[in-house]
Amino acid sequence: MSYALRRFGFYLVSAWASITLNFAIPRLMPGDPTAALVARFKGQMSPEALRALRHAFGLVPGSTLTQYFTYLAHVARGDLGLSIAYFPAPVTDVIGTGFGWTLGLGGVALVISFTLGTLLGVVAAWRRNGRLDQWLPPALSFLGAFPYFWLAMLVLYLFGFTLHWFPLQHARDPDLEGASALSSALDVARHAVLPATAVVLATLGGWMLSMRGAMLAVLGTDAIKLATAKGLSPRRIMWAYAARNALLPSLTSFGMALGFVVGGSLLTEIVFSYPGLGYLLVQAVRNQDTPLMQGLFLMITLSVLAANFLVDLVSIWLDPRTRA
Amino acid sequence: MTALSESLRRFFASRKAAFGAAVVAAFAVMAIVGPFVVGDPTAFVAVPHLPPSWSHLLGTTGQGQDVLAQTVAGARVTLLVGFTVGVFVTLVGAFIGITAGYLGGRADAVLSVLVNVFLVIPGLPLAIVLAAYLPPGPGSIVIVLSFAGWAWSARVFRAQALVLRNREFIQAAIVSGEGALRVVFVELLPNMASLVASAFITTTVYAIGAEVGLEFLGLGDPGSVTWGTNLYWASNDSALLTGAWWTFVPTGVCVALVGFALTMLSYAIDEVTNPRLAAGRDADLPVPVERTATPSGAIDADVSPLPEVPRELLPPDATPPPELMTPMPPPAGALLSVQGLTVRYRGREHPALDGVSLAIHPGEIFGLAGESGSGKSTFGDAVLRLLPDWARVTGEIRFGGRDVLALPPEELRAYRFREVSVVMQSALDALNPVATVAEQIIDVVLAHQPLTTSAARERAGALLHMVGLEASRLDAYPHTLSGGARQRVALAIALALDPRLVILDEATTALDVVTQRELLDRLAELRATLGLSVLFITHDLPLLLARCDRVGVLYRGRLVDVAPAAHLSRVARHPYTRRLLSAFPSLGPAPQLGGERPAAVSGELGRPT
Repeated sequence: MSYALRRFGFYLVSAWASITLNFAIPRLMPGDPTAALVARFKGQMSPEALRALRHAFGLVPGSTLTQYFTYLAHVARGDLGLSIAYFPAPVTDVIGTGFGWTLGLGGVALVISFTLGTLLGVVAAWRRNGRLDQWLPPALSFLGAFPYFWLAMLVLYLFGFTLHWFPLQHARDPDLEGASALSSALDVARHAVLPATAVVLATLGGWMLSMRGAMLAVLGTDAIKLATAKGLSPRRIMWAYAARNALLPSLTSFGMALGFVVGGSLLTEIVFSYPGLGYLLVQAVRNQDTPLMQGLFLMITLSVLAANFLVDLVSIWLDPRTRA
Repeated sequence: MTALSESLRRFFASRKAAFGAAVVAAFAVMAIVGPFVVGDPTAFVAVPHLPPSWSHLLGTTGQGQDVLAQTVAGARVTLLVGFTVGVFVTLVGAFIGITAGYLGGRADAVLSVLVNVFLVIPGLPLAIVLAAYLPPGPGSIVIVLSFAGWAWSARVFRAQALVLRNREFIQAAIVSGEGALRVVFVELLPNMASLVASAFITTTVYAIGAEVGLEFLGLGDPGSVTWGTNLYWASNDSALLTGAWWTFVPTGVCVALVGFALTMLSYAIDEVTNPRLAAGRDADLPVPVERTATPSGAIDADVSPLPEVPRELLPPDATPPPELMTPMPPPAGALLSVQGLTVRYRGREHPALDGVSLAIHPGEIFGLAGESGSGKSTFGDAVLRLLPDWARVTGEIRFGGRDVLALPPEELRAYRFREVSVVMQSALDALNPVATVAEQIIDVVLAHQPLTTSAARERAGALLHMVGLEASRLDAYPHTLSGGARQRVALAIALALDPRLVILDEATTALDVVTQRELLDRLAELRATLGLSVLFITHDLPLLLARCDRVGVLYRGRLVDVAPAAHLSRVARHPYTRRLLSAFPSLGPAPQLGGERPAAVSGELGRPT
């Protein structure tokens, strides 16, 4: 258990670091953007809105240190200030509208992609230089070289615009308000197919290659040699010995790539006007809704940290050596 | 040929490297020369959203600009920014990573936490937030992406620096009083050349992708022409809703081609540094390495590797005595009979085994001695047909009269472990680390016998008892056991199916002398009760003389001597064997340290009773 605790401690430090980064970025930027922003909105905004803006940045009278602790206290209470574009909605409420969509879309896409990529990697490594192993890795690497959002544009063009198989944008059909739970669920799923496909296509190759590499490393070990010598069935050697051990390093690289992949999949939301955190983030940047932007960055970062911790817990569950 | 020039030769021979370099070079030329050829990419030349035609090969944008001109011109800033970020991130990462890895201690602890924190913070959202505050333009993008992306390369460099720092040549440089800067720049960095190259390529790929993403979001300078702004305008001008695919497809394909080509280059570098990844093609195949275990016991005469025989002591080709070279008819009643066994690894000049013939009789303990690389482990693997695909095996192996090399897959599976089992040198490596002891015994039992799981588990408990372990160890994982207990577990697995022959492949080498002795005593008892035969492979000749009925000596793939253990020292004919025998002080009237030393002289202990 001490390993899990150490990891948890590390994520606490990371969370503190990202909160501090969030506090420091607006203050360290050239020309003090916070002050400039406050000055710019003076006169355009009601006094309450202006107060909310100052509040969001912890711009209380006093030293930077006082402001820092005020800010920490606000974050600890879950108070990220008020959004400017959606004034007077609190930033947390606005984030709340997008969080579920991103978690659902990104989570499902990532799980599908990692599972499928890992299975392909196992088979490719097991049938080394077979047909699958020769064609799929380069093909998927090539797909993975496209920007995620560009693949999103392509699948949108092909399957949405040209073939009309799937809706072009948004996460659900507003006309279906009040429809049965089943048809709403189907509608949401239909809207998610294309964005999820884009993320899966873009990331599949990465997981496959990582699992393939881990498999090849494991296949060279004495554990596989002994398993073969034991006369076990090839299927059992492949799954219980090779894949089971190769999954651990592959999971570690999954955790490390998570932040990168989340960033990429946020961009696909823009293409589909999918109302998740990525879409909100870009809207906030375009509207110069700084409190919302900072809040979103914090929220995305904390979610990635939580997901990483989850991956660590899975690794611990799978690897008896970390449980000791 | 030096290692470096050999690496470079392999790199240039690689198809991946050739493809990657050609594509990257083509784009570099396009970025430099192209803008002069295609004309002003921002000029409004025709009606918006014109499909590709002869006058505009890739059509026009939603603003009426030429897509081809924009795609070609966009390469310049995009690649410049990408390579600049690549250089920055590599330098910063190398500096921080090497500092952490080289200094170690507290500096490393602090820097590592910093690196790991920046690794888990998602880079693109961070870059978006930073870019939102900075004036749009290539300079800002370079700063933002370098800040968001340095951690990955720092981590890679730190890991490599840690490995190299403990190498002898670095230690020697430090001890000889070289300054830290000199050690880093003269000793460390040249050994990281391939890492620097692949880190640069990987970060450049990251940079181009992230740059295009940021500009697509409108965080670049929308007035400039880059691949990212091309996509930004395509999306802004509703390319997707009007079906103007030509406004975004060419740019995306360019981004992917550059990224793919760079990735291929980096794979080519990885394959050169780590040949195992490239295996499968003809050359450069790895050959199974025979390891000489590091002694864990204190008495080094017991485990020290065999001395190399000076060439002048040997006949020109070290030919074994003629009767060992000519295949004989298989001895009647032999359990295992090997005739003229030759194993060649593809890509190797000399065979690993060269015409080896020997027989092992029921109930016999046969010792096979030889130094690292003599082919003794290859022999054990050949008997179980465990050699890799790229080993070519000729000759004959008969077990109980059956032709082992001709067994079809199902019969081979049944033959393995039920007829012949093996205990390998390091049970820590050979046991499945994520399965319990019970699982690893049960699976071999169930693979061969129609038992219920609970019956198999009972059998597993009995086997542990047989090798002197408590049944409570059944649910232990290998890493929680001591080295001796792990080796006992490996022996228990080997005995699970009552095999007729057990191969001990350096199985006791890594153990301390006391544990080694206990384990071998146990095996000798079992041999007596179960009537099994043992092929005992080790470089430890005194141990073999003490424990075996007959001993064979392998030298450079050839069996140079075979004799009853008690007579070997008298009848040994090959100079290598004689030299080997005289190399062990324990064979003379030396002070007795280990338990089996007196036995080594008399050759009695462990013989059948």
